[in-house]
Amino acid sequence: MINNFTVSGSPHIHKPESVSRIMWTVVISLIPAGIAGVIIFGLDALWVTLVAVAAAVLTELTFGILTKKKITILDGSAVITGILLAFNLPPQVPLWLPIVGAVFSIAIGKQVFGGLGQNIFNPALVGRVFLMASWPKYMTTFTPSFDAVTSATPLAALKEGKALEHISYLDLFLGKHGGCIGEVCILALLIGAVLLLIKGYISWHIPATYIFTTAIFTYIFGAAQLFHGDWLFHVLSGGLILGAFFMATDYVATPLTAKGQIIFGVGCGLLTAVIRIWGGYPEGVSYAILMMNAATPLIDRYTKNRIYGTK
Amino acid sequence: MKDLVKEFTKGIIKENPTFVLALGLCPTLAVSVSVINGIGMGAAATFVLLGSSVIISLVRNFIPGKIRIPCFIVIIATFVTITELCLKAYSPVLNRALGIYVPLIVVNCIVLGRAEAFACKNNLWRSFFDGLGMGVGFTLALILISAIREFLGSGQILGRTLIKGFEPVFVFGMPSGALLVIGLLLGFFNLLKNRRS
Amino acid sequence: MNIQEFLTIFISSVFIYNVILSRFLGLCPFVAISKNTKQALAMSAAVTVVITASCIVTWLIYRFLLLPFNLAYLRTLAFVLVIAALVQFIEMVIRKASPVLYRAFGIYLTLITTNCAVLGAAVLNIDMFFVDGKPVTGSFYYAVFQGVCMGLGYTLAMLLMSGIRERLELCNVPRALKDFPLAFIIASVLSLSFMGFSGFKF
Repeated sequence: MINNFTVSGSPHIHKPESVSRIMWTVVISLIPAGIAGVIIFGLDALWVTLVAVAAAVLTELTFGILTKKKITILDGSAVITGILLAFNLPPQVPLWLPIVGAVFSIAIGKQVFGGLGQNIFNPALVGRVFLMASWPKYMTTFTPSFDAVTSATPLAALKEGKALEHISYLDLFLGKHGGCIGEVCILALLIGAVLLLIKGYISWHIPATYIFTTAIFTYIFGAAQLFHGDWLFHVLSGGLILGAFFMATDYVATPLTAKGQIIFGVGCGLLTAVIRIWGGYPEGVSYAILMMNAATPLIDRYTKNRIYGTK
Repeated sequence: MKDLVKEFTKGIIKENPTFVLALGLCPTLAVSVSVINGIGMGAAATFVLLGSSVIISLVRNFIPGKIRIPCFIVIIATFVTITELCLKAYSPVLNRALGIYVPLIVVNCIVLGRAEAFACKNNLWRSFFDGLGMGVGFTLALILISAIREFLGSGQILGRTLIKGFEPVFVFGMPSGALLVIGLLLGFFNLLKNRRS
Repeated sequence: MNIQEFLTIFISSVFIYNVILSRFLGLCPFVAISKNTKQALAMSAAVTVVITASCIVTWLIYRFLLLPFNLAYLRTLAFVLVIAALVQFIEMVIRKASPVLYRAFGIYLTLITTNCAVLGAAVLNIDMFFVDGKPVTGSFYYAVFQGVCMGLGYTLAMLLMSGIRERLELCNVPRALKDFPLAFIIASVLSLSFMGFSGFKF
């Protein structure tokens, strides 16, 4: 009550923005991709997503009670972590996998650093690379769900040197191919991304530089001959769009200034392309973003705006 | 007599080299993939600790203070070489599993730390029990960590499957799993310490 | 001996088998000094210099002294002493040649004498680039290059870690996890993300 009487200096502009409002908008922006995933892969995708969200929220609640801090499950950040983790899983995983992943995401990715706003890494990606290292068998098996969907992801097929003629760019754009739940339908992802950009909740710097760098790099080095790479294929396949718009733009784990964000985006793009072209894994988006998350404090340190007149 | 028992037991709990002093973590993390490796590494380190503590406490009055560290290193390195050669001769499999971490015992902070902090100031028997206690404490810590990692990482302990249908968490057999286990264990022991005080 | 070999050594010793995050060498200073970027940088510079120098010297000693006289079993003893002497020597040279540089990272040099990363790099070189007591082709260059790369890997891990820990100073970290435990957990996540480079092939 007393807080309401505290008077501070002008100007007094009120804006209805708050952390939970932004977080729930992000949740809404992810819904189209979720619906697309359910349409493409069937109800399995829905169960995986719901289970991951429930596990994430419950873990957050447990930690809140154990550490006797404010209970933060209503601000939507745990929900986002759950959704993003599920979107990075194949649709036919056993249901305990998203549970373990979500618990790990929230516990090791977020709570050990002190909770919301203090995590160094994107929690959902921490969970995903943990699952990837622990149960590669489940994380890379994409069983065909209905006739139009091929089993292997296009990137995995490319890595194994298989022919890719039967997948058109339109198929890639609409998501008619194997992959993780939330990453396949580029159209749905872009709808959500446009919402966030219009609202001003994310800026263009990271997504644009990230996608652009990956495109350029895969164009130059993506094929046996220089400057013959199929850059459009690399942009449309795998988790690049999901990663660039929804995971590389995490408020906490990315640089603050525009200059820093551009460095971050270029770094992510380079690492993604390098892992895709020469690495052992078919996809490098999660690793690239995590590595750049780790470098964020350093980037911030060297790109921070200095106060006028100081050194 | 009571004194000697105290020197022995302090290394196991109160001054456990791994969990309390956080010394010698490099081999702890690197070889704790399986319990057998853990025991092997623990035994090798205990032998070196014991041998160097005894010799150093015997010659402590002859070593000039200024060059004591190089002297300690030579004594320790001798015992490490003995261990290395014995391992190579009698247990090539274990030797391969422990790899470069056997010669690296020579720069293990526990060994040099005990030499500098204890053996060069105390008599033979006290140094002997101090070295033994530290070695046993180190070995027990290794066994604890490697048991956790082996069970989670491969679903087995000492090569025997414990729970049927348990899907091993491969990551615990990898470097990052080792770092995670030691981080959480250190946190857990901190928690206990905070509770008590 | 070709460019691919060198690239593979680079990627594997900087990222995949990072000295700290995968081989666990030099962990003590990694945890102790990584709270401040400036100090971390000075320490890594010192480690890189010493690793490189010791790789050169230990290779030469192993090849031209220990092998011809059948003394290979004295490897550990010889290397430890040589490294200790080398570190002392470098310290003296730097103190004379550049007092500024000495003030910047001289104090870390003494700490390095018993750093396992230095001895580890030397022993690894011998294990990797000598087959049946004979050096492989280009062995010396590989050994030196691997030493430099291990130093770079050390620097990378130290830098990332110090940046992160500087930021964590402002965070509301659970009390039991402060400092050491959290440093290990962060290292674990770093190690997980470096796994993205596993299976690297040119």
